[in-house]
Amino acid sequence: MTMLRDVFISGTGAFLPGEPVGQDRMEDYLGLVCGRRSAMGRRALHWNGIDTRHYALTPEGRPLHSNASMCAAAVRTALEAAGHAADDLDLLAAATTQGDYLAPGHAAAVHGELGCGPLETASFQSVCASSLMAAKAAWLAVRAGEAELAAATAGEFSSRWFRPHFYEGTALVDAKGRLAIEADFLRWTLSDGAGAAVMQPRPAGRGLGLRVDWIDMTSLAGRFDACMWAGSTKAARHDMKSAWSHAGPEAGFAQGAMALLQDFDQLKAVIRAWVGVYLDKVDAGRIDPAGVDHLLCHYSARSLREEIVRLLEQTGAMIPEARWFTNLATCGNTGSASIWIMLDAFLRSGRLKAGERVLCIVPESGRATVGFMMLTAVEGAGR
Amino acid sequence: MSARTKEGGATTAPVLRKLAVAWTDFEARLDSTPLVRRLNRGLLTIDDYRALLMNLRQQVVDGACWISRAASNVDEAHFELRSTLMRHAATEHRDYRLIEADYVAAGGRLEDIRSGAKNVGSEALSAWMFAEASKPNPFGLLGAMFIIEGLGSIKAAGWGRAIARQLSLSDEAVRFLVYHGANDGDHMTEFEAMLAMVLPDPAVEARIVRCAEVTGRLYAMQIEDVR
Repeated sequence: MTMLRDVFISGTGAFLPGEPVGQDRMEDYLGLVCGRRSAMGRRALHWNGIDTRHYALTPEGRPLHSNASMCAAAVRTALEAAGHAADDLDLLAAATTQGDYLAPGHAAAVHGELGCGPLETASFQSVCASSLMAAKAAWLAVRAGEAELAAATAGEFSSRWFRPHFYEGTALVDAKGRLAIEADFLRWTLSDGAGAAVMQPRPAGRGLGLRVDWIDMTSLAGRFDACMWAGSTKAARHDMKSAWSHAGPEAGFAQGAMALLQDFDQLKAVIRAWVGVYLDKVDAGRIDPAGVDHLLCHYSARSLREEIVRLLEQTGAMIPEARWFTNLATCGNTGSASIWIMLDAFLRSGRLKAGERVLCIVPESGRATVGFMMLTAVEGAGR
Repeated sequence: MSARTKEGGATTAPVLRKLAVAWTDFEARLDSTPLVRRLNRGLLTIDDYRALLMNLRQQVVDGACWISRAASNVDEAHFELRSTLMRHAATEHRDYRLIEADYVAAGGRLEDIRSGAKNVGSEALSAWMFAEASKPNPFGLLGAMFIIEGLGSIKAAGWGRAIARQLSLSDEAVRFLVYHGANDGDHMTEFEAMLAMVLPDPAVEARIVRCAEVTGRLYAMQIEDVR
């Protein structure tokens, strides 16, 4: 029987397109829906606490990149950091919320952009937690001896969905030209970028390596309707046959079913459900808060963090805030890409020391999913 | 927030953690019952709402009774907890009248709701509460209170507002749900104080958590049975 192997992240990469865009210039890129400034913007920005973000568009709405090309760039950077090139890859696991195409999968598009030789691909389409679904595929493949070098990548090109022509002429805009809150909020929350990690059965050649101890994913979709989705309207989304794919693209567009939407009322219950999964892991001893030296949590908004801190303190499950690392405020919420962009910046920050444990948490409101990844810092093989 | 709470209170933190897990499991079960699904999807009917009130009333009538019975079974060593439970029962024992008034404001007839019977889930929930409350020092019921009060402070007001909006009802018809949301605000602080009166004790802690789990399952069954 083949033994399971230890798996290490031997390189990370992040790709953020263009210059950082400040709050006052966001609508220059996203455009004005029906020529009106958004009434939602200021409130949403206060809620999410994001100062700057990146867009893969010019202010005229011309794309500078594709989702796939941004992922390919992040994979190349991660491979370089690990001392490898794309042709060395055995497996490419790629994740996104919405790829450039409807089909085939995102990994095929990223492989195409990499332009390298034959390899195994795996595509993961969900929302933020798709990143860790891809990571788990890469981790398991290396762990089981199916791959010697695997890359997990995740990317988002959200801004293109936020341009006026994705909303104008749909039921999401009222007679006065105002965009529905369930659509407008996300325009002020999500932005573009890609990230990647390369996994191998040995640590990086120099510096600190990161052993991937485990990756746990929990979906609660059996209990909740979709909370953040594209493809149906808010009112009809519980009925899968209401989806744009049944109505057809023109009717789907007119109903407002093509846009990315969020149900805020439901979000509160979904947040509690995520916290419940975390507390259950603490209770079962899977996670020891005192033993976590660094926490990288993809919370989509600053206020979410404030909401859960009190409960975590009361239940003895709080990881002290001094151990939290985030770059949400400067890099924006890049959905599935966020955790890799955060990990990449964290590793460059010089905070990590040998023997320390890093917990990554990626909650996804999509349909109530949450992923956890535990890492341990080890000395590189070259030392 | 007290320093003890801030540090996650060595005495209460583990049980609060287990209770929070039980609560989120309960909430997810509740959200997937047919009635709450219809509410969350904006598809609730006036008949649904009246049926909910009709079913809640039969169980809420018993609420103050089992808390009183529990109080009467608390020994002298836990005198403060007995006082708290008695106050609690006094606050709640007229609640069912509010439900009746809501039912009438929602177009129902008083004699109908008063003559209503418990559904299968309510029967199980009520019988369970009285059985537990009849034991000496029935501290496990703190777990049941955690579940039911969590429902009041976290879900009730949102449900009440959504029901009024969906069914174009006046505030007069959703007072029980909205009032509970407004009044149960600081129940965690109060609840921690009650826990501190009976902990540390591993057997009591386990019983509190078990009671929360059973109560959550039976409560969800009650809502599942609303037709």
